[in-house]
Amino acid sequence: MSSDVRFTDFKSDKQPTWCPGCGDFGTMNGMMKALANTGNDPDNTFVVAGIGCSGKIGTYMHSYALHGVHGRALPVGTGVKMARPDLEVMVAGGDGDGYSIGSGHFIHAVRRNVDMSYVVMDNRIYGLTKGQASPTSRSDFETSTTPEGPQQPPVNPLALALASGATFIAQSFASDAMRHTEIVEAAIEHDGFGFVNVFSPCVTFNDVDTYDYFRDTLVDLQEEGHDPTDYEAAEEVILDADKEYQGILYQDDESVSYGEQQGLGDNMSEIPDGAPEDAMDLVREFY
Amino acid sequence: MPADLNWAIGGEAGDGIDSTGKIFAQALARAGRHVFTSKDFASRIRGGYTAYKIRTSVDDVQSVVDRLDILVALTQRTIDENLDEMHDGSAVIYDGERSWEAEIPDEVTAVDVPLKTLAEEAGGAIMRNVVALGAACEITGFDVAYLDEALEKRFGGKGSKIVENNKEAARLGRDHVREEYDLDHLGYDLETTDEDYVLLNGNEAIGMGAIAAGCRFYAGYPITPATSIMEYLTGRIDDYGGHVVQAEDELSAINMALGAARGGARSMTATSGAGIDLMTETFGLVATSETPLVIADVQRSGPSTGMPTKQEQGDLNMVLYGGHGEVPRFVVAPTTVTECFWKTVEAFNLAETYQTPVFLVSDLAMSVTEQTFPPEAFDMDAVEIDRGKIVSDEEVEEWLDDEGRFRAHAATDDGVSPRALPGTLDGAHMSTGLEHDELGRRTEDTDVRVQQVDKRNRKVETAKAEEDWDYREFGDPDADDLVISWGSNEGALIEALDLLEERDVSVRVLSVPYLFPRPDLTEDIEAADDVVVVECNATGQFADVIEHDTLTRVKRINKYTGIRFKADELADDIEAELSTEVPAQ
Ligand SMILES: Cc1ncc(C[n+]2csc(CCOP(=O)(O)OP(=O)(O)O)c2C)c(N)n1
Ligand code: SF4
Repeated sequence: MSSDVRFTDFKSDKQPTWCPGCGDFGTMNGMMKALANTGNDPDNTFVVAGIGCSGKIGTYMHSYALHGVHGRALPVGTGVKMARPDLEVMVAGGDGDGYSIGSGHFIHAVRRNVDMSYVVMDNRIYGLTKGQASPTSRSDFETSTTPEGPQQPPVNPLALALASGATFIAQSFASDAMRHTEIVEAAIEHDGFGFVNVFSPCVTFNDVDTYDYFRDTLVDLQEEGHDPTDYEAAEEVILDADKEYQGILYQDDESVSYGEQQGLGDNMSEIPDGAPEDAMDLVREFY
Repeated sequence: MPADLNWAIGGEAGDGIDSTGKIFAQALARAGRHVFTSKDFASRIRGGYTAYKIRTSVDDVQSVVDRLDILVALTQRTIDENLDEMHDGSAVIYDGERSWEAEIPDEVTAVDVPLKTLAEEAGGAIMRNVVALGAACEITGFDVAYLDEALEKRFGGKGSKIVENNKEAARLGRDHVREEYDLDHLGYDLETTDEDYVLLNGNEAIGMGAIAAGCRFYAGYPITPATSIMEYLTGRIDDYGGHVVQAEDELSAINMALGAARGGARSMTATSGAGIDLMTETFGLVATSETPLVIADVQRSGPSTGMPTKQEQGDLNMVLYGGHGEVPRFVVAPTTVTECFWKTVEAFNLAETYQTPVFLVSDLAMSVTEQTFPPEAFDMDAVEIDRGKIVSDEEVEEWLDDEGRFRAHAATDDGVSPRALPGTLDGAHMSTGLEHDELGRRTEDTDVRVQQVDKRNRKVETAKAEEDWDYREFGDPDADDLVISWGSNEGALIEALDLLEERDVSVRVLSVPYLFPRPDLTEDIEAADDVVVVECNATGQFADVIEHDTLTRVKRINKYTGIRFKADELADDIEAELSTEVPAQ
């Protein structure tokens, strides 16, 4: 690992095919900066991406990476981190990827508290499949598959995380570059599962949850003096449906990660040339 | 005097049938006798008939037969279920003090043992099965001292008092029979030898093979009959620096295993039919991202939830063809419990050498069958590990393009690319389920698409040329007729050969452990008069594959009752099949 890593080292030479103005540009820049700022380099970083416009992020970043199947990025990240505690593992995807098809994995990744970060680009729409409702779409948000709106309340991913026993819950906004970077950095540094829901506007299919909308409504919790270690205060802001927040909503600063709790420290890629020396003990057990 | 003894204990699930059977099996193994066990159980936790059967001999035993010599019946149903296998040398041990009226045929010796009362005398009603074991020892002339050793193994961890009470229970059972009956061991003579045997089942052998082969990460989701692989690894793999994680479902399990494999760990998941269905989504990703992964499928009766505790070999098509698009893979199917060990080791080597998914296909019968082996059958010194083309920091350079980017999916001649594990300097790259170029970057370029598809398929071609995709052969090599089998039918087939020989029927048997790639059987089939394919499914999936490969019609013996083949039944079926015409299709 070299100490002079710059965030551009995390950039691949592939030009993003995102629509000009897509929130994912800002989200990705913040992720790369956060990785560099926390002392990581591409050779010790593993990025797992979901499927969607958001999932393409793995292609535009440079590190060890896997772009998997829809909704399953978290299990992949979990496996990487358990086998390789020495690596920095970051998982990224969209709201459809994470809270719809992958919602089962989300709950369990949260409660498993593996030491990795999870960045969700929440644009409240399915971008890549061209504009259908997502689990975070507003109930009256008209889309090609929901002409009258989904007619169901949106999923509150922060509440879902809190209820699942999250140890780090944050929300950021793709165009507030500094705060977004800081928040992802905190997620990386958190000893456990660092979850960041990022408002990452889709300029093509969502004309409601726009840059202007978030700029006008976002309340910064840290400016408000919110104490993230206060569970009840976190509960209150997370369940507050009338406001949009950014900042660290909740952090259990005594969190013990899965790996630490299970004593996982070994790099599991290193194995002997043949069976382990005392492997005959395994046979003897059956006497 | 029968050369082998068939013993069973049956009752309701929850009666401790399994552990009692296992104790007796261990006692027999301690006495240097071969043991082959089978289980009959229903898919419920309490209630429902369940039985544990043991066949034992001083010679190797590899199958169950339709004969029962000694039965410990804890319920009336146990007797009803087994009546047709009993004969005039059989004995039934039952507790006449229980409220049920045992209807035991006249020619069968009824041995009434007050199991509960004697168990209470020894220290607790819970030991009534052990009283029955003591009684069984006396009936068959088997020294209870061997039982003592098994009881020590089973209860040693619970303190010497428990061990002593159990030994006492066994003696009370023995003495009761000795005093109340004059059986003269019914003519049985359980010879002992000085051999040291280990006793284990197919799933334990898979788990042991995995650890021996350097598997360090296992993710799974409970499902019968695969779960015991996970249970075996839990608590053992940790001793070797590994970890087992119970995932939230099979989708997660296979993706976790994939993640660990990307991290460079030898990694595995195991499941059964329904779980394979869920994992199918990820097969293609494993193959196209060129990740080494071992996926074990311990088959059970389908379709859907089918008969979860019953035998079937119905997933062949699924493991051969499952997954959308075209997915290069290997499919390896052990045919015996020892093969479960060795083929697991091989599966990991194949996975890493060729950077592909490898299906390790077993079945319920093999997973629950405990069998004795000389410990050398699992000679750890003979385990070899081949990690394939992992590149070091220094070697990375050879594989960089002009702009210094690592060609993780380089289109090599053999189809296998260099593999840089995370942490390797300058090896950073991404892999994806999308079609990609040599660098792993998404592409729809027609030439690159063809290059990468060909490259991945070339691995299979290379493997076909480099590895031995052979079969195991039994019977008369010069026989005119050929019997072909896969999976756990092998043992029953081998024993069927002896029975056929007595009837002057000679056949040559091929037991095929490689399902893809598989040995080319064209010559064998062309040289044979009749060809019969034996498998536990209704449609003959392997027979179809063989017909496809060799362009020759074959005969089929299919069993899909949920129960494995028995040697005597198989001998009858083969004899009958050889005398019929091949049906037109
Ligand atoms: C199993 C499966 N089902 C459906 C799809 C099609 N699909 C691709 S992306 C996507 C939705 C992505 O939405 P989101 O996660 O919100 O990401 P965005 O594109 O908005 O960033 C869907 C349904 C797929 N690739 N795989
Ligand atoms: S469709 Fe929306 S989410 Fe996708 S790239 Fe365009 S702006 Fe971004």
